[in-house]
Amino acid sequence: MTTYFARRLIFASFLVFAVSSASLLLVRLAPGDYVTESLGVGADPSAAERARAYYGLDQPIGLQYRAWLWNAARFDFGRSMAYDRPVADLVPERAANTAILAAAALVVGTLLGLPLGVLSGSTRSRIITAMVRAVSVLLVSMPPLLTSLFLVFVAAITGWFPIGGMQSPTAASSQLADRLEHMAVPVLALALPLAASFERLQGQSVSETIQQPFIVAALARGVPRRRVIWRDALKASLRPVASVYGLVIGSLLSGSFAVEMITAWPGLGRLMLDAMRARDLYLVAGCAAAGSLFLAAGTLLSDAALTLVEPRVRDG
Amino acid sequence: LHEKSAISVFLHGIFASQDLGWRGRFLTGHARHRAALFAGILCVGCGASGPTESAGQSSALQKGGELIVSVRTEPRSFSTYTSQDATTHLLSLLTQARLVRVNSASQQLEPWLAESWTRSDDGLSYTISLRPGVRFSDGVPLTADDVVFSLAAAYDAGSMISDSLQIDGERLEAAATDSRNVTVTFPRRFGPGLRLLDDLPILPKHKLQAALDAGTFGKAWGLSTPVAELVGLGPFVIEEYRPGQHLVLTRNGHYFRTDASGIRLPYLNRIVVEMVPEQDAQILSLQAGQTDTTASEVRPEDYSPLKRAAEKGALQLLDLGVAVDPDSLWMNLKPGAFDNDPRRSWIQRDELRHAISLAVDRRVFVDTVYLGAATPVSGPITPANKRWHSDHVPQIGHDPSGAKSLLATIGLEDRNADGLLEDRAGRAARFTLLTAKGQTALERGSSVIRDELKKIGLTVDVVTLEGNALVQRFLSGSPYDAVYFHLTTTDTDPALNRDFWMSSGGAHVWHLGQKLPATAWEREIDDLMLRQATALDEEERRRLFIEVQKIFLKHQPMVYFAAPRIFVAASSRMSNLTPAISRPQLLWSADTIVVAPR
Repeated sequence: MTTYFARRLIFASFLVFAVSSASLLLVRLAPGDYVTESLGVGADPSAAERARAYYGLDQPIGLQYRAWLWNAARFDFGRSMAYDRPVADLVPERAANTAILAAAALVVGTLLGLPLGVLSGSTRSRIITAMVRAVSVLLVSMPPLLTSLFLVFVAAITGWFPIGGMQSPTAASSQLADRLEHMAVPVLALALPLAASFERLQGQSVSETIQQPFIVAALARGVPRRRVIWRDALKASLRPVASVYGLVIGSLLSGSFAVEMITAWPGLGRLMLDAMRARDLYLVAGCAAAGSLFLAAGTLLSDAALTLVEPRVRDG
Repeated sequence: LHEKSAISVFLHGIFASQDLGWRGRFLTGHARHRAALFAGILCVGCGASGPTESAGQSSALQKGGELIVSVRTEPRSFSTYTSQDATTHLLSLLTQARLVRVNSASQQLEPWLAESWTRSDDGLSYTISLRPGVRFSDGVPLTADDVVFSLAAAYDAGSMISDSLQIDGERLEAAATDSRNVTVTFPRRFGPGLRLLDDLPILPKHKLQAALDAGTFGKAWGLSTPVAELVGLGPFVIEEYRPGQHLVLTRNGHYFRTDASGIRLPYLNRIVVEMVPEQDAQILSLQAGQTDTTASEVRPEDYSPLKRAAEKGALQLLDLGVAVDPDSLWMNLKPGAFDNDPRRSWIQRDELRHAISLAVDRRVFVDTVYLGAATPVSGPITPANKRWHSDHVPQIGHDPSGAKSLLATIGLEDRNADGLLEDRAGRAARFTLLTAKGQTALERGSSVIRDELKKIGLTVDVVTLEGNALVQRFLSGSPYDAVYFHLTTTDTDPALNRDFWMSSGGAHVWHLGQKLPATAWEREIDDLMLRQATALDEEERRRLFIEVQKIFLKHQPMVYFAAPRIFVAASSRMSNLTPAISRPQLLWSADTIVVAPR
């Protein structure tokens, strides 16, 4: 078990290293740079040269990468060119916002998707099954970008929730209700497709599980159907959902790019998109590293969940 | 609320979210970071913030209240000395003040912190008297030393506005004669005069002298600076900055302006600047009443839903008239760029550009690209530039057969009756047009150009590139055939955009940074522009610039098709607006804006 998690940790470290390195090199190799973006057309060539020298953009790519790697090994991830702040300061505050969004979406998606999956997989009512599945198929087929636009549209015409942002300017930072109101649209935008995916997986798994002999036997012994399904069948059917949890966290991150843009949520996705547009290469690398950390953490979490519901993983 | 109008916005191309993003950044001109300043044609309940303290009929105006504005990008600094992005510029307008201001609505230069000035007989020096009793937001009095300090800071290595305050590479000099008077000396006579100083927010010496002395001015007032440290002379001060979320600005109690009744401006208590990166969400938020206005114009495709909302009384949709800067097409005219290309006999010829200009039906262009909300134009100076636009400069009509005849003179004819033109060797007359990805007007415009040129047999391959990559392509000297893009000039006065007009200029995009003029007509324009920039007589300057425009049109190094109309939306709470055609169309005069209670 320890070896297994140690392997996963090594893999996670490699993932962070590879993704951030690749991001830095790709942004550096892409045509255009931060100086072009910030000074624009008509800039004095000598001023542009000075700016390139100031940001180290005049150095050969190998030298620049080596310097970055050396500094990163000492937890100095460079300075954002656009924001003129250390990447190590900028990324954690935005990553925390994304983590809040992703965690809330995961919780809401799980709390909606799993019970609905159990319901659709076990109910004898064809109408309920058809209704749940129809909604699920619709939501699964909608990318977070469209879902968030739709929810923003609903929020605009109903006035139920704020359309964007994380907090009202008038609210104190501790005002929980205000935060929750602002979270409604982005969290639902991420959670609804997720809930639909969970429902599809769980529904299928439950419908297979209740055909298993141990369930049939339990029912034959007179154990109440509700208890058998919500306790025994649920636990036995969790493996498919548990095994995709890590991937889901990764997809939450990529989905959050669009959602954060549309709902003006100040998260990692938005920061990375801004950084890429500005060719702010150290910031892009920092964001990519944080993103891959999310993915690695998600995979670990997924493995942990799997070991809970599937002892064979733990043992072997 | 506004269901029908919102649907149109919702269904609008969701990938157009980068619209205008690059436009704001690529500015040409002597004063790159300053927004172009032009007259708005509509003034809603104008309070007429004139050159002095007259700010309208204050007895009818309600003081107080909060205005919520959305912007699409974060500021990159709290100082335009170190960053020139649109949001930093907006913050500068709200929190800083200049000696003189170019009034966006009237186009006229007006005293601001300066009470008056005199020009020396040789036209080189200006003696400026500061208004008495002006204080920074921390209560420290403004003195001539602050002006001298600001100019010195502008020329610091960490400053981004150094270029814009030089004349042909030479700096201005400032000297304080006493606490209220300062003399600014130009290296040579300069037609626009003090207009140049509209670029120079006056900074507090007592706050920033240490940074300048330590060589860290370039890092001063970055985004990590505590907002309490930021001191200015503008109508507002920054109270709170939440990265990625919002900025809160409150009224500066020491602001120097009062209205006609002696009431101290600004009228507003607070401005909240919300950061909403996605343009559809910005419009929805406006329609839902969650924001009052946007810092920039709305897209043509948003016009219909916003108009419906305006008809219901939910908001105001203001038509400000034709834009100052039309999109343009240019060919790569760098000598030798096509030496090894079989198209070298025709691709850089004047006749090709004239043929393109004649072949594109500008009415079709207006209707297709801007959904009818635009005006056909033939040159870079649109009717919005009231001072420098001239009816003496001819306009170009639609003449496809004339275009074909012109192309025949450079050997491009349909030699195999397939409807397409070939050169004398029988090779297809074909070129690639680069444009910016994700900018709806540019993408649509390129398609119309392609389709219109196909009608005369020219084949155009449109290639879209990400904005930064596109700019790098034509700035770096990499090979390209043609570009369709948006360049924004920064002032109505052409002498402040000489880097576009003059052959040595960094914005002379068809052939950048020439050591000597490559053509006789570019030399002629250089000479005229030098005379135009140094002349002090306004009529003479105008006459010279009309000549420049005529030569430009005769050779059409850049081809123009249409200038869009500019619309801005504002909540019905807002009044006493003085809209201008340039960004920020409403907030350039934020000190006189009034809002009704929610």
